[in-house]
Amino acid sequence: MEQILDQMPIVITSLNIGFIQTLKLFFVTLIGAFPLGLIIAFGSMSRFKPLSYFTKLIVWIIRGTPLMIQLLIIYYFPGLVLHKPVWGGGEAGRFLAAAVSFVLNYSCYFSEIYRGGIQGVPVGQEEAGLVLGMTKNQIFFKVTLLQMIKRIVPPMSNEIITLVKDTSLARIIALQEIIWAGQAFMKGSHGISGAIWPLFFTAIYYLIFNGILTILLGHLEKKLDYFR
Amino acid sequence: MKKITAFILMMIMTVLLTACQDSGAGSDSGGSAQTDMEYIKDKGTLVVGVTEYAPMDYKDENGEWIGFDADMAKAFAKTLDVEVEFIEIDWDNKIMELEGKTIDCVWNGMTLTPEVTSAMDCSDAYCGNAQVVIVPSEDADKYPDADSLSGLTFAAEAGSAGEGVLQELELEYTSVKTQADALMEIAAGTSGAAVIDSSMADAMVGEGTSYADLTVACTLNSEEYGVGFRKGSDLVKALNDFFTESLADGTMKKCAETYEMQDMLLEK
Amino acid sequence: MAILEIEHISKSFNHIEVLKDISFSLEKGQAVSIIGSSGSGKTTLLRCLNFLETPDKGIIRVNGETLYDASDPAARLESAIRKKRLHFGLVFQSFNLFPQYTALENVMLAKELLAREQPDYKTRKKEIHEEIQALAESLLTQMGLGSRMSSYPHQLSGGQCQRVAIARALALSPDILCFDEPTSALDPELTGEVLRVIKNLADDNTTMIIVTHEMAFARDVADHVIFMDDGYIVEQGSPVQVFEHPSEERTKQFLAKY
Repeated sequence: MEQILDQMPIVITSLNIGFIQTLKLFFVTLIGAFPLGLIIAFGSMSRFKPLSYFTKLIVWIIRGTPLMIQLLIIYYFPGLVLHKPVWGGGEAGRFLAAAVSFVLNYSCYFSEIYRGGIQGVPVGQEEAGLVLGMTKNQIFFKVTLLQMIKRIVPPMSNEIITLVKDTSLARIIALQEIIWAGQAFMKGSHGISGAIWPLFFTAIYYLIFNGILTILLGHLEKKLDYFR
Repeated sequence: MKKITAFILMMIMTVLLTACQDSGAGSDSGGSAQTDMEYIKDKGTLVVGVTEYAPMDYKDENGEWIGFDADMAKAFAKTLDVEVEFIEIDWDNKIMELEGKTIDCVWNGMTLTPEVTSAMDCSDAYCGNAQVVIVPSEDADKYPDADSLSGLTFAAEAGSAGEGVLQELELEYTSVKTQADALMEIAAGTSGAAVIDSSMADAMVGEGTSYADLTVACTLNSEEYGVGFRKGSDLVKALNDFFTESLADGTMKKCAETYEMQDMLLEK
Repeated sequence: MAILEIEHISKSFNHIEVLKDISFSLEKGQAVSIIGSSGSGKTTLLRCLNFLETPDKGIIRVNGETLYDASDPAARLESAIRKKRLHFGLVFQSFNLFPQYTALENVMLAKELLAREQPDYKTRKKEIHEEIQALAESLLTQMGLGSRMSSYPHQLSGGQCQRVAIARALALSPDILCFDEPTSALDPELTGEVLRVIKNLADDNTTMIIVTHEMAFARDVADHVIFMDDGYIVEQGSPVQVFEHPSEERTKQFLAKY
């Protein structure tokens, strides 16, 4: 116990650095996947058949394969097969490759949620808008959008909380997120060897962060409760 | 619908096939155009792939890379007049990292197993190490040698020298991701014993670690460490010359003493 | 002069013709009831008038101006159609109120969005908003909903929702107000309040087309009755003529069921 207290300051500092990587990946993924998912959703609903088939094919491939494989392919494929290591070996390159993989993966999941949300809004809503002389844009932003958001908040919340935990997969390409930082203390990082507790301690970070997210998302859901 | 699907599938296959053919041609021409030495001098850095693994490569309190391998790598880069950069990798992916040029060498207490030497061009062995059996301290007396080990369930790092020894002895084992995980298996009671590098055992079990209750029961086999480069790299010869020199002038020994590893050095 | 003239409208879905050569006209201030069994094309006809469907053939004229001519491809463009919709109002069977807005906001929304296109909108913003709000309030009061203006649709009964929907359509002062089975989705005890409102509008000489299954109401409210079957107009004329002395066999059979 005394030993743990001695190690605590060093471990916390190191875990914080790892957790910042985790958070960075989390927010970059959300910022990228929210709009890209919408574009993919519109693509898969397009009346231009080749586009909608192509989009559905991509979504099928991305959702049908593990994110871990996607990370490996996106990071190593350019250097191994094309002999152009576009990402570089450093931390920045690994982060960029991880971000690209996560944005791609999550926008495909988001697109399906968006699609359900858009198709879940009754046709009568659009027709009522049309009859009242509103433009398609006005109908989307003034009528459909909020109803769609209300429908997608619960499934989206699930995905967002899964994303927090999924970020740990990025250590397969040696992105030094919090679990990587925790494991390092088993192997002599910062002069601390064979310490297991930091790894388990990372769980507390996830719990607290997911707790905050759950409260915020629950709050949003409640805010949209004023209509049905 | 069917036609379109077939068309798209064909397109994807064509792209993949072309990519593969390109790659074949690329590696040949790439090799003849520029040697590895020229490539590294050109970009001015030697990128060393490591995992955090005391006492070979690890970070000090300031986050600086130190350790026997790290110090030697710094010295080697100096002789080439290039910067050195340490990149942490996932040990399972070391060959992909090397071939994909995200790193230039693997210099991380790497045991020269047949798997390693067939996938990379390796330097001469510079260091020797033994594989040791780790068990809970109270059981240590029961396992004095290799013959006493049957009936134990082992844990060992996948692809490590320890795993090789266990296969040779036909002992039952589980492969785990890292040597540290192997130790956690014993501590958690999910395995009865582990086989790891003795250098690692010195740093990670016994008094002052999380594994104060674990100890070395016996030694199984010795192994040798080398540095891995891409196939056909001319850096191998450069490093071998560097090792010969630093052994001769005593700098290598001095470096080893800093990390209490002098007994492990291989002197030819 | 007729306010509305429909000439030879036809419409098919997947090669099945659901409207066949429909022609009729309507005078200003008149109310027309369209009756007929389900699937006879009544609703499709209303949807064509509101351009929710584009007719394959035929012409639609309002106040002598040709709004739609199927032989002119430019007439089918969404941009060309939008403003023309404003000649018509449509009250849906299922209300289609916007759930995220209050009764008052539902009535005001479209009018406010349209006002933005006025050249003096920027300078008179506040004034325009107040005018629209006053109009919406008076319409809701007229519908007997003076006390429910800030309620959301889910807090209102079906009858109240339908009255908000009527006010919403009236807010844009359409030339012709269309009702698509306005009481079919309501509990029987709530149909009365909606029918009364429509009757009052008819008495105020609002030009209306009402598709309905309420035969007594159709007869009571209308100046003109159209009976449709299988995509055709089978018979049309005054309520007395169609209900008391139908000349077609199919009309007689249909009316015998009520």
